[in-house]
Amino acid sequence: MPFTFKKQIFGFMDLIRFTKMVPKRREKLAEGSAEKIPATYRVNETAKILHPGYQSAKLVKITQNTADTKTYEFETDKPFYFRAGQYMTLGTNVNGSEASRPYAVSSAPGAALGKRVAFTVKKCGFFSGYLFDNAKEGDIFTVGDPSGEFCYEPLKDAKHVVAVAGGSGITPFYSMAQAIADGTMDFKLTIFYGAKTEEDLIFKKELDALGSDKIRLVYVLSDEKKAGYESGFIGADLISKYVSGDFTVMMCGPQAMYAFLDKELKKFDLPPRRIKKEANTVGVRDVKEEHYKIKVKIGFESYTVDADSRETVLVALERAGLKVPAKCRAGGCGFCHAKLVSGSFSIPGADKRRLADSKFGYFHPCCSYPDSDMEIIANKA
Amino acid sequence: MTKYDAVVIGAGNGGLVAAIRLLQGGLKTLIVEKHNLPGGFATSFRRGRFEFEASLHELNDFGAANNAGDVRVLFDELGVTDKIEWIQIPEAYRVIARSENLDATMPFGVQAFIDKMEAYVPGSRESVTKFFELAEEIRLAQAYSSSVNGQTDSKYMVANYGNFVRCGSYSVNQVLKTLKMPQKAVDIISAYWCYLGANLDDMSFVHYASMVNRYILRGAAMPKMRSHEISLAMVERIRELGGDVLFNTEAVKILTDAEGGVSGVVLDDGTEIATRHVVCNCAPHVVYGKMMDKVPEAEVRATNARKFAGRGFTMFLGLDRSADELGIENHNYFLYDTMDSVKQYDRMRTIADNDVQATVCLNRALPDCSPEGTCMMYFTTLYMSDDWANVKAEDYFKTKDYVADKMIARFERDTGAKIRDHIEEISVATPMTYARYCGHPQGVIYGYESQYWDGLMPRLQMMAEDHRIRGLRFAGGYSMRLSGYSSAYFSGDISGRQTVGDFKREG
Ligand code: FES
Repeated sequence: MPFTFKKQIFGFMDLIRFTKMVPKRREKLAEGSAEKIPATYRVNETAKILHPGYQSAKLVKITQNTADTKTYEFETDKPFYFRAGQYMTLGTNVNGSEASRPYAVSSAPGAALGKRVAFTVKKCGFFSGYLFDNAKEGDIFTVGDPSGEFCYEPLKDAKHVVAVAGGSGITPFYSMAQAIADGTMDFKLTIFYGAKTEEDLIFKKELDALGSDKIRLVYVLSDEKKAGYESGFIGADLISKYVSGDFTVMMCGPQAMYAFLDKELKKFDLPPRRIKKEANTVGVRDVKEEHYKIKVKIGFESYTVDADSRETVLVALERAGLKVPAKCRAGGCGFCHAKLVSGSFSIPGADKRRLADSKFGYFHPCCSYPDSDMEIIANKA
Repeated sequence: MTKYDAVVIGAGNGGLVAAIRLLQGGLKTLIVEKHNLPGGFATSFRRGRFEFEASLHELNDFGAANNAGDVRVLFDELGVTDKIEWIQIPEAYRVIARSENLDATMPFGVQAFIDKMEAYVPGSRESVTKFFELAEEIRLAQAYSSSVNGQTDSKYMVANYGNFVRCGSYSVNQVLKTLKMPQKAVDIISAYWCYLGANLDDMSFVHYASMVNRYILRGAAMPKMRSHEISLAMVERIRELGGDVLFNTEAVKILTDAEGGVSGVVLDDGTEIATRHVVCNCAPHVVYGKMMDKVPEAEVRATNARKFAGRGFTMFLGLDRSADELGIENHNYFLYDTMDSVKQYDRMRTIADNDVQATVCLNRALPDCSPEGTCMMYFTTLYMSDDWANVKAEDYFKTKDYVADKMIARFERDTGAKIRDHIEEISVATPMTYARYCGHPQGVIYGYESQYWDGLMPRLQMMAEDHRIRGLRFAGGYSMRLSGYSSAYFSGDISGRQTVGDFKREG
């Protein structure tokens, strides 16, 4: 037996009440203020400091750190903020084409609020070569959003971090050490810093000055024996000599260092959550030279560019002078997300795409190599 | 100049559906999205060996092929259902309010729900049965209303859906009181309130009962590859139908003609698109605040009159043990301080006081969503004021960690599960994150609040008069169906079809 809903003594009052809803709302809407609707909001403004997006940056200072390393200090357009350990892309126009590379920030987060940011760059390729030979104070560059997860996570990581740095891999840890020293962050940091010789150590003086009960430095030279330095490679024995208890390992350096450490760390039987690696390289592949054509649609325009089986799709697009998005250049951030229409590619390293991306034919051009002619849709930068 | 019959601004849930509807109606359509992915909140992201769902807890009103809900019917019409692999959510929810000795786990299925309630609260059967009878009548009345495009005949309504009309102007609490539902049953049935984000004195019964009924009647579903699978399936469909899709492309201006109607859209690279029809999948506040030069005064007043709903916060955890090993028993938890939603709403204003969470362990619905021996969870809350606006950039990361830490502590305390020592991946989204990715004012994720005067019914009834600018319609959480996945899809359906009608009438 269906029941009859009745709230007021006389049911018709409920009906009348129903008919008043529209007039009530009409009245409320008309009562709103006639003042101009704001163009922005406080939360959105803070979001712009945390995620400034691309901005221009003036090169204000170049310091030679070692024979093959320089630190480039910039003044950015806007104040911003980041987490020590993050990277940003540094880009400019090189011989008519837009080029950019990700670099770990070597300055402190606090400095960015004052529009200062520094990258420490080792001369090792096309872009760093350009910087070394051409960049001068006063030049204008473009920097991207602070990105990456190579940061200390208080809720997850041990209170003690064992940092293993190889060569210019010291930069994110230098930023962390400054952040600990100025009170931005709070954890114990023991840095094992490996280089060939004493001469190759970047920021030695600065790091020593930061040493405290929270920040400890262990320098490890592979090609030189010297008092006050450890020698050889950074392995389990050396770590055990200085560290005990619960710790998180964070490593940043060349692939060879990772391969060696992966084996060494097995001796500690650490769970995966205790080991973090800055993934800064793309898988390389050794294949026969082949030449392909890539037809790419960007916005309303279509282009056809040359591609080489030994270079990524992203590099092919950039070589042709096309402006396409790129951030980590290592397959992980998804910023270069593009759609495959036809053709095939392979990913020599880990496939870090989302499940549905693979299903619907999306891929990351920065870590994918062409295996045939391709037709793709890419986003504008 | 590039010319389109219609442009959709924003490829969120509402925008994607609107675009498909426009294309199905034969309009040459462009959809632009400022982010590099479609979906808005409906997306996923990877951290280490986990792929996290960004926002979807469970898709309401989808149902199974033989018990199709309205969302499935819509997806069938759009031609996307079969592009997505679906799974069913095992149980409705577990609600815990320790301070009030409440801990109840509720099943899907109306009869099962009523029976379980009777077991928890002897004597509740009659009132809970009435609740579902009312809710079902509301569902039928709404179906009638949409079948006549909101032009309902009031005599017919009163004759056929009398209870709907009689309860239609009351809040949830007013109706439950009238039904004489025992307090504990009221508490249990109130659990979903934070999904709609207005307290139950404010929220209309019609809106709430309609949602609860759809969950319990049809169960809930989830795409296998996170909501990103739905979003990409929709983009696929848009392209199949010949639509153009541009990511990393922000629409910065809507141009108007001498009469104030829409005449074009300007993109962030300066490209001008000629069009007479725009569907905005974003807040009217954003459109009138910075995208249009001349806004009619009535529209300014109406926009200023409205109240922002909850600002979002979500913590994502990838854990290095299975749900069984950690003692995480359920798929979907609501953890409250009190079941008095008015008091609870008040406590949700500040970062210091807000401890509410709606939490999901996805492996309980989809066991292999993360590698063997691991599981993943997401914890969501809402802030009912702009307290996050008081957080300076330099305090941001600490504040995030402070809230995340409280969330972990509460979950462990309330459920007895042990998760803190097994965090392999952690990621946190705050109002700043939502502001950044989706551009919503103050990081709002629920559109305009369902206040007592601005609820579902009057919004639907006023659809025609709310449309004040020729060629401009809205979809998504700020529009006539309010927020939530299914609501956003429906709003895109409505605005898309209405725009097709506008185009046929007005060119
Ligand atoms: S640039 Fe990061 S995935 Fe390609």
